[in-house]
Amino acid sequence: MDALINRIREIARGLLREGKVDVVIGFEEGTIPFHSRPCFVRSPDEADRLIWNNFCGNNLAKYVVKRKERMAIVAKGCDTRALLELIKEKQVMRDQIYIIGVPCQGMIDRVRVEAELRSRPVRTVEVREATFLITGKDFEKELDIKEFLYPSCQECIRKNPVIFDELAGPEVEESVGKTYPDIESFEGLSDEERWQYFSHEMSRCIRCYACRNACPLCYCTECFVDASNPQWIGKSVTESDTALFHIMRAFHLAGRCVECGACERSCPLGIDIRKLNRKLSKDVHVLFNYEAGISLDEVAPLATYRPDDSEAFILEP
Amino acid sequence: MKDKTIRKKDVSDFLDRLIQSNRVYAPVMENGYFLFKTIKSGSEVNLDYQNAKMSPKDILFPQSEALFRYQLEKRDVEIDVPVQDEPNPVIFGIRPCDVRGIQALNNVFSKNPKDPYFEARRSKTVIVGLGCKETHNGCFCTTVGGGPCTDDGSDLFLIDIGDEYLIRVISDKGEDLLKEEDLMDAEAQKITAAAEVAEKAQEALGPCVEVQGSKDILTRRFNDPVWGAIAEKCIGCGVCTYLCPTCHCFDICDEALYKEGKRIRIWDSCQYPLFTRLASGLNPRDTVEKRIRQRIMHKFAYFPDEQGMLCTGCGRCVIECPVNLDIREALKVLLRTGAAQ
Amino acid sequence: MKNPYVPFPVRIESVLVETEDKNIKTFTLSFIHREDEEQFIYRPGQFAELTVFGKGEAPFGMASSPTQPGFLEFSISKAGVVTNELHQMSEGEVLGIRGPLGNGYPLETSKGKNVLIIGGGFGFSTLRALTNYMLEETHRKEFKQITLIYGARRPGFLLYKSDLEAWQNRSDIQVFLTVDQDDTGWRGKVGFVPAVTREVAPDAENTITFVCGPPAMITHTLPVLKELGFQKERIFLSLEMRMKCGIGKCGRCNIGSKYVCQDGPVFSYAEILNLTSDDVF
Repeated sequence: MDALINRIREIARGLLREGKVDVVIGFEEGTIPFHSRPCFVRSPDEADRLIWNNFCGNNLAKYVVKRKERMAIVAKGCDTRALLELIKEKQVMRDQIYIIGVPCQGMIDRVRVEAELRSRPVRTVEVREATFLITGKDFEKELDIKEFLYPSCQECIRKNPVIFDELAGPEVEESVGKTYPDIESFEGLSDEERWQYFSHEMSRCIRCYACRNACPLCYCTECFVDASNPQWIGKSVTESDTALFHIMRAFHLAGRCVECGACERSCPLGIDIRKLNRKLSKDVHVLFNYEAGISLDEVAPLATYRPDDSEAFILEP
Repeated sequence: MKDKTIRKKDVSDFLDRLIQSNRVYAPVMENGYFLFKTIKSGSEVNLDYQNAKMSPKDILFPQSEALFRYQLEKRDVEIDVPVQDEPNPVIFGIRPCDVRGIQALNNVFSKNPKDPYFEARRSKTVIVGLGCKETHNGCFCTTVGGGPCTDDGSDLFLIDIGDEYLIRVISDKGEDLLKEEDLMDAEAQKITAAAEVAEKAQEALGPCVEVQGSKDILTRRFNDPVWGAIAEKCIGCGVCTYLCPTCHCFDICDEALYKEGKRIRIWDSCQYPLFTRLASGLNPRDTVEKRIRQRIMHKFAYFPDEQGMLCTGCGRCVIECPVNLDIREALKVLLRTGAAQ
Repeated sequence: MKNPYVPFPVRIESVLVETEDKNIKTFTLSFIHREDEEQFIYRPGQFAELTVFGKGEAPFGMASSPTQPGFLEFSISKAGVVTNELHQMSEGEVLGIRGPLGNGYPLETSKGKNVLIIGGGFGFSTLRALTNYMLEETHRKEFKQITLIYGARRPGFLLYKSDLEAWQNRSDIQVFLTVDQDDTGWRGKVGFVPAVTREVAPDAENTITFVCGPPAMITHTLPVLKELGFQKERIFLSLEMRMKCGIGKCGRCNIGSKYVCQDGPVFSYAEILNLTSDDVF
């Protein structure tokens, strides 16, 4: 990890010193355990603020949209996929960003750790080789890193950056295949079971919109939830309107979501927000043999018309 | 009013009795975190908790509520205000920071003209506070004039003294709640023990920044570019405002079907871009920087004179902010005395 | 204690199209229940929240003067959900009204002084109420010289044409109308309000000024007034912020340590400069 951090700082320092970029967007130490957070470095002396660890869960691609500065961005696998999609959707120009790719070992899920500790306050966290040690006022607990990674990290098959200008460290071994085992097993449940699960998750939602705001692909200046004429969705927190919000957002992201998990990481209540997105990603994969954020040459299937597109859904009801 | 004691193992039965004639809200663990919920039995409650993920403000100020229902007629309209017929709410085991949150909300909603919805609930509610023996790494109640064991605002206040709780009986409402109970008067050494617990907790959490004079300093620094640096990583989500015990901004809208409908009030957030956008399209707070500045100034500069700080130091915004925008850190930067304009 | 969130039912008595583009209409409303009218005692400069049941509420300045009892008038520009629906409504339909809200123009401090009223476009609404209030028989003698400057884009955009005509025929008020772009038959001035202000403003000495209009007009008129020696404490503006509850609870109109719906919307220019404000015009 240290070599990685030093390399990130070195690259950042160099770019700023040579005036190649105006700002380096990366991660810095948070003020409390389990939180590393986005930072914006604008001078070479500040490059030492940059760090890298298992708490860098935010998707920094969020910050490139509508930014006029020339940027360098520290990006892990999923972040680079988001950047690629944003380039495809022309929300940022390729030559405006210098991508410092970071092969990623996964991020620790603090909400699940909190549940494991039954919400007892944490004093310090120390990350070791394969475990991390948590100390509180009168307890100490060692947990396995792999076990407590975010679900999106555990299922990740794109740990290595898909697009970059420079890699800050050696590539890591990828898990193989994209078979969506979690979705397949979920689809195996009965209607009633699936509805129960979905209802339970939706009933916890407080409509804070952290998931939407954390998502780099949600960049609309006016989101559909705020439209008043016509009003698409009720504003009060009812199960029906809340479910509608998540469903509609999932559809707006179909074929665009890069499954970085920024949504579920930002949710204060640890709701399983990604499931719907995963399902639609699987459907897009099956129907169009397409994965978002992998190649600049591939066109987005839901934004592209081909004369030989299937018309089965119209012709064979 | 004499202090009482109650053994920890008797609390569950006590709650069962309270539930007979009150609607009791207490911390319940669900999905790995705590929330204040209505309980049906004392055994659901776990007082071995730090704090609830969401502040219990929604007990008195629900996230959405109907202000009135209406029915349009030919030449008139019939308006019906829902009647508050909830049995006496008791908020049990609420932390001092959240109690101060309720006091802050009270200051806003009881100002003329009184908010009848909040008033109706608040006037019936009995608050049973619980002092903190331990704090979490986001807590800063002592910085804003509070403390882990401050009991102002509570009707009864519990302090953990080992196998028992000392119960400070603070108001008539509190005393009333205990009148059917056969509780022991607190012995002198237990009262002392409780005082020591309170003092120790208070000392353990030193203030992280001096907020005296924040009004003047922040006003002077209104146009300081440092706000931009503070706000840069904010993603504008609204988690801070929703979880905050004192944030109370709301929206009002109608939901209707043909000639009948209702007017509802729902939580809103000054962190959303459309919050201040006028119909003409003009938006006085059109950047993240301006909105973050509004939030911090609203809490620490605009109302301290009459309402006290609109922040209780509960630390939820610190812990749950997806990008760890730490308000304590922002204050340290902003309130640096002697800093250049 | 009246529930401050519940509106009084009112009926639309008549609708008048004010402007040539039909985007501004003046609605005359009456209370359906007599006892409600008795509770609605207002002053010029105050506003009310009008309810279009099913669409919502929006705040509007009172365009009528309390010296004309029995009805209320509001001039409404088609802008959003509520106003668009309102523009499609006609005589006899039912609306709701909450109010009066806000502080109103400072009439007491204006007594014994000269009054300068400067209005632009749609913002003239509450100034018309103020003018009618001051010109009313029992009030007129409380104020000295009254000067009115009112401008609009074109003659077809001037509001309250019958009032304007009546005032121009009076000798106890000086009326200067101006348009940015004239039209056939227009006999008033041609020029922006700030320029006309510079030309015809009375002496700053012992004068209270009321200004209301679009942001551009205000930002250009204030320097002119300053140049002519008008004191900041004696210039009053009506601030527009997004408002919802109108009673200082929902936080939306909070600016500095004030709520525009309760401490305003009328503020002196000096007060506005003291508020740590965002760009409010």
